[in-house]
Amino acid sequence: MLEACGLVKSVGRGRAHRRVLHGVDLAVAPGELVAVLGRSGSGKSTLLHLLGGLDRPEEGTISVAGESLVGVTERALTRIRLRHIGFVFQSFQLVEELSGRENVLLPTRLAGAPPGGTARAQSLISGLGVEQVGEHLPHELSGGEQQRFAIARALVNEPDLVLADEPTGNLDASAAADLLGLLRAITEQGRAVVMVTHEHDVAAAADRVLEMADGRLA
Amino acid sequence: MSALWRDARAGLRRHRGRVLLSAAGIALGAAMLSTATVVGFGLNTGFARSARAADLPDVIARFEEEPIGLVRRRISALPDLAAYSFRLELTNAPLYTGGHSSKQGVVELMGGGRRGYALLAGHDLSSRFGDVVVEQGVARAWGLHLGSSIGLGRLSGLRVTGIAQSPDDVAYPLAAPRVYLSRAALEARFGAEGERRVNVAEIWLRNRSLLNEVLVQARASSFGIRGLRLVTRDGVKVLLDQAAGIVIALLVALSVIALLTAAVMLAASARAEVQRRLVGIGVRRAVGASRAHIALAQTVEAALVAVPAGAVGVAAGTLAASGPSDRLLQTINELPPGGALVLPLLACWLLTAAIPVLASAWPALRASRRQPIELMRGAELRAPGRRRLPHRAAARLQALLPRLPMLGARLVAARRVRLVATVTVLGVSVAFILLMLALASELGTLENDPSALGKRYQLTASLPASATRRVRRLKDVAAASPRYEVQAADAFSLGETIDVIAYPGDHTVFEAPPLVTGSRLRGPGQVEVGDGLAQVLGLSIGSTLAIEMPSGREARYRVAGIVDSLQHDGRVVYVSASSLLAVEPTASEQIAVRLTAGTEPSTVSAELTAIGAAPAAAGAAIGKGHGLIEALTGILRAVAIVDGLVCLYALIQALVITARERRATIAVLRASGASAGAVRLLLTGAALAVLAPAAVLGGLLERIVLGPAMARLAVDYATLELSAGRGELALVLAGLCLLGAIAVLWVARDATRRPIVGELAG
Repeated sequence: MLEACGLVKSVGRGRAHRRVLHGVDLAVAPGELVAVLGRSGSGKSTLLHLLGGLDRPEEGTISVAGESLVGVTERALTRIRLRHIGFVFQSFQLVEELSGRENVLLPTRLAGAPPGGTARAQSLISGLGVEQVGEHLPHELSGGEQQRFAIARALVNEPDLVLADEPTGNLDASAAADLLGLLRAITEQGRAVVMVTHEHDVAAAADRVLEMADGRLA
Repeated sequence: MSALWRDARAGLRRHRGRVLLSAAGIALGAAMLSTATVVGFGLNTGFARSARAADLPDVIARFEEEPIGLVRRRISALPDLAAYSFRLELTNAPLYTGGHSSKQGVVELMGGGRRGYALLAGHDLSSRFGDVVVEQGVARAWGLHLGSSIGLGRLSGLRVTGIAQSPDDVAYPLAAPRVYLSRAALEARFGAEGERRVNVAEIWLRNRSLLNEVLVQARASSFGIRGLRLVTRDGVKVLLDQAAGIVIALLVALSVIALLTAAVMLAASARAEVQRRLVGIGVRRAVGASRAHIALAQTVEAALVAVPAGAVGVAAGTLAASGPSDRLLQTINELPPGGALVLPLLACWLLTAAIPVLASAWPALRASRRQPIELMRGAELRAPGRRRLPHRAAARLQALLPRLPMLGARLVAARRVRLVATVTVLGVSVAFILLMLALASELGTLENDPSALGKRYQLTASLPASATRRVRRLKDVAAASPRYEVQAADAFSLGETIDVIAYPGDHTVFEAPPLVTGSRLRGPGQVEVGDGLAQVLGLSIGSTLAIEMPSGREARYRVAGIVDSLQHDGRVVYVSASSLLAVEPTASEQIAVRLTAGTEPSTVSAELTAIGAAPAAAGAAIGKGHGLIEALTGILRAVAIVDGLVCLYALIQALVITARERRATIAVLRASGASAGAVRLLLTGAALAVLAPAAVLGGLLERIVLGPAMARLAVDYATLELSAGRGELALVLAGLCLLGAIAVLWVARDATRRPIVGELAG
């Protein structure tokens, strides 16, 4: 599902130049939940951004569902994100003017999105148990509810790969446990999930834990 | 201080794009304000400045040619005299140069003493024969310069030694071409015949406040002087001030809009910027920075942008407006303000620099009042309005707009106060652009269409009244009537000249200027008075108007109605032909010819020529005022362009602020697979949310408020229909769409070029 090979990425210029990733290799199979564990500044978020096509590596190759993310146009990258990748962000990133349901529907309204989005959104909202609060605005929702809508939004276009950046960072222990259950459920549908976290307890829920230190995966 | 300076410079370096946009807004506001200042100040002070430079007399007395001794005796008996001088004014003189000529030239044969004109170039008349001073309008239109040759009848090869300007009349081609010659030089060359005769006396008083007393005595002691008409310096000024008032009012209103737009947009931008920096401000406060330091840092940063941008804007506005303004002043024979503009422009600069500085410092000062810990959590300056749209309204909007544009509209609508402010400034700008288009259209009508004067006839034929029946029989002639016109004078007041027009029957068949009040004239003792004259003489329905005819006889009429008329600035009266011919049997006559609908005037002109008449097209209101119209149109065009740029700026700024505040939302969309086109759609919705209500507001404002208000201002001159028509509305809507498209493309380009990762981090 996901194959990344020899990823190199630097940040800063001149004296501030710093290499963040030193030739990272990673392969994730369909239905696999992989956790990338590391301390702050270890490069795990940078890796996630490269895997999701939000940023481009200086060296190396990445392919998602058989499509290369390297050396392609911005338009092609946009299409791959729309069709194959879903993101779950630490701070949920729900649009504050839209209700939870409307936030889930947002990616389905983009040109090129697979048809049947409304039904899928409804099914996801029901499946995640937030139907009762579907019309609430984000600030009217609990952290756990917001994260469920964020997950529904990531899944609504049926991506092959779900990338989660510190998904439990803003949740209490109970909500975090629920969320990990949800990620596990996603993999059972045959999707690959990569989450980055700095919490060992969270990483322990994954099928495979890769530790990142100084820009290298171990 | 160095810390403040460092903070401010760092802030500017980090956000060059935003700094440039703010600078553009300030520059636009400053350009608009300085444009208005250049034109308004020039017009407002032009007469006083030019009258001073020209040493314009307090009273100009015109009369029929009289011996200079008689006139001198009458004038020297007046009280409080400072000086006086005499001229002989010859009209309808043939003037010619290599490529230009006029048979309506005015030649002023100057005696000694004060002149009453300012020399713009060259030197004044000397006793040497062959020297001539020409009025600046003639010099400009005919390409004359010092040393050029000009001919006057049989006197060819006169040499231009000076170019003069006198604000007692408008310049050529609005008025007849005017030249000045030394009478002494002419008499030395050709000899003098008996006592000198003069027909113009210029009088300067020691104390201008005694003018009325002097005028009363002048009229009382004017026996023996025929056809006396007195024109005062204040009388000339009233006319010019009325015309300038409209332009000044328009420009002041437009500059207020520009300032308001700049202030609202810059304040919104500053607020958003401070919001973005709250954490930084909190950290500074936490480590001991004072509130004053926070506010001052923002002030210095804003000043570093506003001061140079304001200067650039003021310079650009001055450069853009100076040319048209100077041309406008030239056409009314007034001097440009020159160095006197420095102080007003300096004030413009300070104002346009102060507004953004204050708009930036205030939110920073407010933010610094908050607890540092609250700021470091990134608390909003004020909690945003997160109220949901009512379900029904949301459903309706959802049905109207596709989803992404709908989201864009909702993002903009989330900041309601800002949305209202933006819509208001855009709406007012749109209203003024519509008003200017309507005004330009009306000016075109006035220039080209005689019916704007209330004239219903299309041609005149120089035939005696007895030929009327013959003209009526011509094909395509709907009506024909003798038309009499004389130039008379007000017998009581300031010596205003009046066009007296008369028809044997109902004049409204041929000329029907709109009736403002009262009724049409119904008998020989009644008169319809132009509103310009009514205002100057304080006439109302039932007043008595005494007119002194060219023959010297006086006629008295009761005012039956007051009409809107542009002819001769509204100094026109309509009387019955019988009453006019009773006192002025030699009144000039011609036949007014009204054509059947759809007839080309050229067809009937040919028929009239065939019967020996010299046909002429009925004149439009300002047919001779092409130069004036051109200058006014130039100013309107310059202002409209700046106003359009203000709209563009407001729109871009509104979208930029929205995109800046919602960069995380846009980043989430892009991370979810939104293309650049999708971002453009989102911003299109945001632009529509601002533009659609602004267009409606602008249209209503123009139709209900501005158009009628401007028409009221212009009511002294004409009945103007200043409601924008379909064409103007379509043009403005197309312009708004274009501006919207430019703004969307501009902002979307910037938003989609930013790295998603950075934008997600906020």
